[in-house]
Amino acid sequence: MAVFKGFPLNLLFASILLILLLCIQSGGGQKKKENMLAEKVEQMMEWSSRRSVIRMNGDKFRRFVKAPPRNYSVIVMFTALQPQRQCSVCRQANEEYQVLANSWRYSSAFSNKLFFTVVDYDEGADVFQQLNMNSAPTFMHFPAKGKPKRADTFDLQRIGFASEQLAKWIADRTDVQIRVFRPPNYSGTIALALLVSLVGGLLYLRRNNLEFIYNKTGWAMAALCVVFAMTSGQMWNHIRGPPYAHKNPQNGQVSYIHGSSQAQFVAESHIILLLNAAITMGMVLLNEAATSKGDVGKRRIICLVGLGLVVFFFSFLLSIFRSKYHGYPYR
Amino acid sequence: MAEHHTASDCKHKTSSNAGGSVSGNGRPNSPAGCGGSGGLSGGLTQPAGWQSLLSFTILFLAWLAGFSSRLFAVIRFESIIHEFDPWFNYRSTHHLTTNGFYEFLNWFDERAWYPLGRIVGGTVYPGLMVTAGLIHYILNLLHVTVHIRDVCVFLAPVFSGLTAISTFLLTRELWNQGAGLLAACFIAIVPGYISRSVAGSFDNEGIAIFALQFTYYLWVKSVKTGSVFWAIGCCLSYFYMVSAWGGYVFIINLIPLHVFALLLMQRFSRRLYIAYSTFYIVGLVLSMQIPFVGFQPIRTSEHMAAAGVFALLQAYAFLQYLKDRLTRQEFQTLFFLGVSLAAGVVFLTVIYLTYTGESHLPVMLRYAKIHIPIIASVSEHQPTTWVSFFFDLHILVCTFPAGLWFCIKNINDERVFVALYAISAVYFAGVMVRLMLTLTPVVCMLSAIAFSSVFEHYLGDDMKRENPPAEDSKQDRPEEGLGPNIKSIVTMLMLMLLMMFAVHCTWVTSNAYSSPSVVLASYNHDGSRNILDDFREAYYWLRQNTDEHARVMSWWDYGYQIAGMANRTTLVDNNTWNNSHIALVGKAMSSNESAAYEIMKSLDVDYVLIIFGGVIGYSGDDINKFLWMVRIAEGEHPKDIRESDYFTPQGEFRVDKAGSPTLLNCLMYKMSYYRFGPYTRLDFRTPPGFDRTRNAEIGNKDIRLKHLEEAFTSEHWLVRIYRVKKQENRQALDHKLRNIAAKQKYTSKKVLPSLFH
Repeated sequence: MAVFKGFPLNLLFASILLILLLCIQSGGGQKKKENMLAEKVEQMMEWSSRRSVIRMNGDKFRRFVKAPPRNYSVIVMFTALQPQRQCSVCRQANEEYQVLANSWRYSSAFSNKLFFTVVDYDEGADVFQQLNMNSAPTFMHFPAKGKPKRADTFDLQRIGFASEQLAKWIADRTDVQIRVFRPPNYSGTIALALLVSLVGGLLYLRRNNLEFIYNKTGWAMAALCVVFAMTSGQMWNHIRGPPYAHKNPQNGQVSYIHGSSQAQFVAESHIILLLNAAITMGMVLLNEAATSKGDVGKRRIICLVGLGLVVFFFSFLLSIFRSKYHGYPYR
Repeated sequence: MAEHHTASDCKHKTSSNAGGSVSGNGRPNSPAGCGGSGGLSGGLTQPAGWQSLLSFTILFLAWLAGFSSRLFAVIRFESIIHEFDPWFNYRSTHHLTTNGFYEFLNWFDERAWYPLGRIVGGTVYPGLMVTAGLIHYILNLLHVTVHIRDVCVFLAPVFSGLTAISTFLLTRELWNQGAGLLAACFIAIVPGYISRSVAGSFDNEGIAIFALQFTYYLWVKSVKTGSVFWAIGCCLSYFYMVSAWGGYVFIINLIPLHVFALLLMQRFSRRLYIAYSTFYIVGLVLSMQIPFVGFQPIRTSEHMAAAGVFALLQAYAFLQYLKDRLTRQEFQTLFFLGVSLAAGVVFLTVIYLTYTGESHLPVMLRYAKIHIPIIASVSEHQPTTWVSFFFDLHILVCTFPAGLWFCIKNINDERVFVALYAISAVYFAGVMVRLMLTLTPVVCMLSAIAFSSVFEHYLGDDMKRENPPAEDSKQDRPEEGLGPNIKSIVTMLMLMLLMMFAVHCTWVTSNAYSSPSVVLASYNHDGSRNILDDFREAYYWLRQNTDEHARVMSWWDYGYQIAGMANRTTLVDNNTWNNSHIALVGKAMSSNESAAYEIMKSLDVDYVLIIFGGVIGYSGDDINKFLWMVRIAEGEHPKDIRESDYFTPQGEFRVDKAGSPTLLNCLMYKMSYYRFGPYTRLDFRTPPGFDRTRNAEIGNKDIRLKHLEEAFTSEHWLVRIYRVKKQENRQALDHKLRNIAAKQKYTSKKVLPSLFH
């Protein structure tokens, strides 16, 4: 935030400098240029010593990134981080970008040849228009000499925005090798420790009746949960990260079932989970109806409900399967 | 074909029907049945005899059904080895039968991985080859002369019958005979297992599932009886499993897990102690006899759980012993001393392991999964969608949780085992498609338990309850109350479901899992069939027309087939042990011709073989696999090969005019489309040079090759072979007339005296 506080003053200073420069341009142009460059580098170094990623608005972007006298490369992330933009990808990309910038900032090779900056849409919409950019996030590299070429735009669609990939791309474009150092993630360990201590505490509090550990129903429930989660492909979701459901951009229809047998949506796997659970429950009810000792009418109803669950939901499952697996002949 | 289809269908129906009825009859034996025993024996003179006759018949029918439903490929095509890996297994079995066992163990294969070679004897699980070789030997001893190929082709279907029997035995130990019979019928026809055991798929998994199930049966038996006899049997079966498949790691972790769970549940017993101690020690020694396994069981972290549980069990037993001998006070001090000592030892081991890096194995696996493209490129290593679960298991996947529920509700020592088996197997199957194979047997068993307990209650006829013993009448009356109508409806619908399962299994087997992939078939509009035998045509051409020591370069998928069918030296094959060698081949394929020629020269390549599906629309060809070659090459040679060069600016992979120039000029593209552009016009609707696989007119029609020449192209252009030209003589200098210019004056140059001192 300190950057923002200093900002108007800097602008004033810069504009005065600019005017002065314009006045004396005809004089010793070359020397002034060098002076200006040194000032720019100094300014950039000062900002990046405060924060590893420099925030830019339109004016700063034009002055420090676009304007020609430069001897440093700049990586710019164009993004839209404001909450009202609802860009979840931007936030993830930003995290990766911060990791990368910090790795660079605190590495031994840190120099004034490479700077990391960010332009938010809500602070520099004019930059977006100027560069003809209509999607965020976008990573661009502005080389020290010349204009950015095609390969200076990071291919986000294909490679993704992992900071290792970004580092590889930067090494490719600028010959600066950055070893990505991720701050170790303790959250998983802490969560586990919390859980263990919670369970331990509960057990300690209830040490007088530990009967519930021997409760078979609880264990059976837990086992079934694992089984249902796996057979409905939650592991696939975890590894591949599909969208929850697909919304057709033309007519706004939401489809919960993926059309191909090679993929699935999260919603779809939840539906399948419920169907599997219902069929299993039907089987258990059928068994229950035959073995329990109770009112005959009630048991008849249980039996029929169980049968209905099994038959109805299985045929439902089969029809979903058929809609996904084209050419399946049976219904 | 159709006859066969219905015939095997009928068998499925009869077998599952019969299985159902027997589980109704099999009540007297059922440990978890609802107590109404004794009523049945009045009707039949000798129920035990009837039961065993029925069981034998059903098991025999299950075997027959399982065997015959695996024969689709043989009947449609011929008795041929399928796919890729089986060709290697077949080749080594052939080597075994012609040269003997010891020669096989010491076999150094110089025809693979040229110029490195491969030590085959020490890098394979020999169980499969030895089994096939042994059967061949015995048959020949009996003067039944069969070719080793036929033994290999029919090995997996025969073993599926043995799997059915061992599943029956295991399920009988877990639940009752009826459930066992149902489980045997299920596993005989379930697609999840058929996928790896059709006739012709001569692979480790075919016999390994039998070994797995049989080991588990013997383990459960030895825990139940606590006899050393059964435990030793379990070890021998485990030894067979270790010799057959790398999946033995699953056994050596699951059994200790079972023991550990039993200890936690305070179900320790002498039986358990005897069974596990015997199993661990003898099994460890036996498993180390396999050359490929060697000292892994005492070194690697996958085997450490077994050792830890062994130590724990000894300590527990020792404490139990002390408890009998010492007073309470002494025992307590000793206990605390022991526990603190053990904690210290465990702590030190953990530190040691962390520093030597052993325990980082999972992390490294994850790393490998993300960063080494060769692992990611194999489709079997993908996670599993629910569709594959349903496709491979159908109704079983929805009903087996019910069986698990019943097992946990009526828990005992061996049901703890099956519950752990189910949970761990379902987890692994979720992570990787190919591990569906280890899930399938337990799903069959638990589903059989679920169905069997339903049938048990609903199929039992009400007739026998007409004269129940008087004291039982109170409890029995409500059961009668359900009424015959509801009972028969339930039974009918359940049988309907099982019938659908049988039909589904047959359909899946016939359509998805019975293609040899060496021979392709295409169907015309009138249903008649064309056989595309291009692969064998090309391999046979190689065998007949090339030098015996010619070296053939191809992508690694075809290495085993070239070695097996063409008997020529290959550079890389499906045993992907050397990533950089594969990357070099990938680099040759994805560079331009002159750069590739340098690589091929350095590797002594004589022929290059590629698969091209553009003429017939075969989608598994090399252009479609090409990006993986580029990625693998990029991993090793990032300076020369860059994946982004092969995409259009929009990030598409296109072979038409809009495609990237690097792609249009790389060796793979040139070899695939050589002579394809101007000369071929497949039909009148499409322009010349239209690729049917990618539905695009190719972008580079004028392809000229400088260092290669076309040697052979198969009938449907599926396989194309190029000969690498030998280096030409040194380029002759252009002949120039000698022109004598103005005479130069030669002046003798005095040599500096300092040079000659």
